[in-house]
Amino acid sequence: MPYGLLAPEIAVTSLGLVVLGVGLLSRPRPHPAVRVLAVSGLALVLCWVALTFTRQASFFGGVYQVDSFASFFRLLFLSAALLVLLMSGRYAARFGPRLAEWYAFLLFATAGMMVMAGSGDLIALYVGLELMTVSFYVLSGYLLADARSAEAGLKYLVLGALSSAVMLFGMSLVFATARSTVFTAIAAAVAAPAPSPPALLAGIALLAAGFAFKVAAVPFHMWAPDIYQGAPTPVTAYLAVASKAAAFAALLRVFLAALPGQLPDWQPVVALLAAVTIVAGNLIALAQTDVKRLLAYSSIAQAGYLLVGLSAANPYGLRGVLFYAMLYVFANVGAFAVLTLVEVDTGGTGLDSFNGLGQRAPMLAMVMTVCLLSLAGIPPLAGFAGKFYLFAGAVQAGYLWLAFVGLLMSMVSVYYYLSVAKAMYIGPAERTAPVTVPSPARLCLWVCLAATLAIGIYPGPLSALAQVSALLP
Amino acid sequence: MTLTLHDATFALLALLTLGAALGVVLARNIVHSAFLLVLTFLGVAGLFLTLDAGFLGLVQVLVYGGAISVLVVFAVMLLMSEQAGQTNPPGASRFTRWAGGVGAVALALALGAAVCTTAWEPGSGPRPEAVAELARLMLGDYVVPFEAAAVLLLLAVVGAIILAKGEDGR
Amino acid sequence: MIGISHYLLVATALFAIGAFGVVAKRNAIAILMSIELMLNAVNINFVAIDRYLAPGGALGQLFAVFVIAVAAAEVSVGLALVISIYRQRRSVNLDDFNLLKW
Repeated sequence: MPYGLLAPEIAVTSLGLVVLGVGLLSRPRPHPAVRVLAVSGLALVLCWVALTFTRQASFFGGVYQVDSFASFFRLLFLSAALLVLLMSGRYAARFGPRLAEWYAFLLFATAGMMVMAGSGDLIALYVGLELMTVSFYVLSGYLLADARSAEAGLKYLVLGALSSAVMLFGMSLVFATARSTVFTAIAAAVAAPAPSPPALLAGIALLAAGFAFKVAAVPFHMWAPDIYQGAPTPVTAYLAVASKAAAFAALLRVFLAALPGQLPDWQPVVALLAAVTIVAGNLIALAQTDVKRLLAYSSIAQAGYLLVGLSAANPYGLRGVLFYAMLYVFANVGAFAVLTLVEVDTGGTGLDSFNGLGQRAPMLAMVMTVCLLSLAGIPPLAGFAGKFYLFAGAVQAGYLWLAFVGLLMSMVSVYYYLSVAKAMYIGPAERTAPVTVPSPARLCLWVCLAATLAIGIYPGPLSALAQVSALLP
Repeated sequence: MTLTLHDATFALLALLTLGAALGVVLARNIVHSAFLLVLTFLGVAGLFLTLDAGFLGLVQVLVYGGAISVLVVFAVMLLMSEQAGQTNPPGASRFTRWAGGVGAVALALALGAAVCTTAWEPGSGPRPEAVAELARLMLGDYVVPFEAAAVLLLLAVVGAIILAKGEDGR
Repeated sequence: MIGISHYLLVATALFAIGAFGVVAKRNAIAILMSIELMLNAVNINFVAIDRYLAPGGALGQLFAVFVIAVAAAEVSVGLALVISIYRQRRSVNLDDFNLLKW
């Protein structure tokens, strides 16, 4: 077997261990080289994955898969990690002597996500998932002096462990009916045309509920906004973008690779979940006055749009999920990068912190506006193309009402996204000093801006990439 | 004759486990909860033994009955300074208590019905020696999750130390 | 005669008891204990399925070993978070944590 294809996972894990070691050796303050090491290492792995994208292999009797689906998500996680590392420099100074470990946890979480996307087996999926979430429990509670951060960490742990338990019980019932944990074997065992046994249906229901917790779909979203608001802002960015994408990768693997025969059983449930999530996420976001919390509800709504693609379960919709997940990385990290810089500058994340940003830092205000409009799905930005694929898939699958709900709520979302723009451009400016933007953060902003514009104007290449990578039932 | 012995053992262990588990969630003193939790863990270990899973039973006693329980009891002792009788109160709102109770019963009935109405066909095949088979799987086909679990344990240790030590800890 | 469904029913009951504890308790440590009950229920399932339905291998026991390892990691991080929050709030009751509102 070409074990070289496992190099990205091994490299990211080793990088995390090295960073941990360097942090131990350079006491009391971690050496600045730690960040350079993490960033350059991730960039190298990203290049490696891009260069070996076409090489595929199935490992260990199907337990681990390196296919284009896994590689697509590896690209996504690595880009997100890289952008978050670039933009978090000034903010991360708050972690003081614990900085090196912070980078290490981010890297371990990334490794966990890669294992999730590559898993071809319930056990591998579960352990990858836990590697990611346990890292995030620690990362969410990392601001030790801030009570809200510890609260976010504890709430995330309770919610995460509960959803894992629910998901595991579902997995055990699926294992009981299929007598295997490998996805291909499960699909073969439960593909019989007879109606699915009740235990399998119960297992699927519990799995769906567990995943709904993980992607923060309504009504399983309780505490998700608390976690997003309390966690350190770069962690929130990574949580909203990469952890959500990883949960979707695992969800797609389980439902499309292991349970395609039960499509009629789960499709309507997912469609309903998508609709409720889109409506509730957008409506509650309308009432928010804190930008961090607003982005939290917005990311709940975005998970709803992604669920639309899964409920369509056709090539158009599933390509849309991958396409949208990728563009969502750039739009959302861009918005969170601006938020992080504003928070470092003003000390707050409320809407009033953004007052007058248009004059103080025109570049930040422009990136924020473009990213938010992309999230709202305004043409010609990337979000428009992504929503087009998702809703077209839903229409093709006969879920016209779902596409309608999505369109309507996208229009509603323009209102709250523009409320941020309003504060930036016509809000009363109390401060006038320009915001300092360090050059790594500037690079991150430019990348997010360029990608959001480029994917929107010329969606062809990413769309083609998503098409070859999409997993089909 | 051995069959009935197995049945009786199962019934006793099931009663012990479920009774102790109920005690964990109903007790108003967190110390009682903690000790009943240990009893539940031991009951589950006993159930593993009735399933011919001796190795797993031992792991259960060592990790759950030993390590996790000690950790929990330690945290309880460290954090409880109030009157012991009120350390583990039920949720403040009557609504969540009732909703939780009704929801849990409904969940148990729904899952129980699903289990009972499914026709389970006993599997067949030679039973391999469990420990050898586990070792073969862990270091063979399941080496990726095995390594991931190793990293997970490391990061949990580092993370727990960082979080518990606090801001000014040196 | 005792068979697979009896074990699955015991596990279901244990799972529901744990779920009740998570919803109805407010002491964070008690909630962590309840989650452990749920994970133990899952492990009973895996081992029983392994014994009765898939006796040709040890996949169920393998899954249970991983669940135990992960649970240990989760508990240690969870209790560390409880200690971290207790240091600032002098309370471990989740109801008292309302800095963050809906």
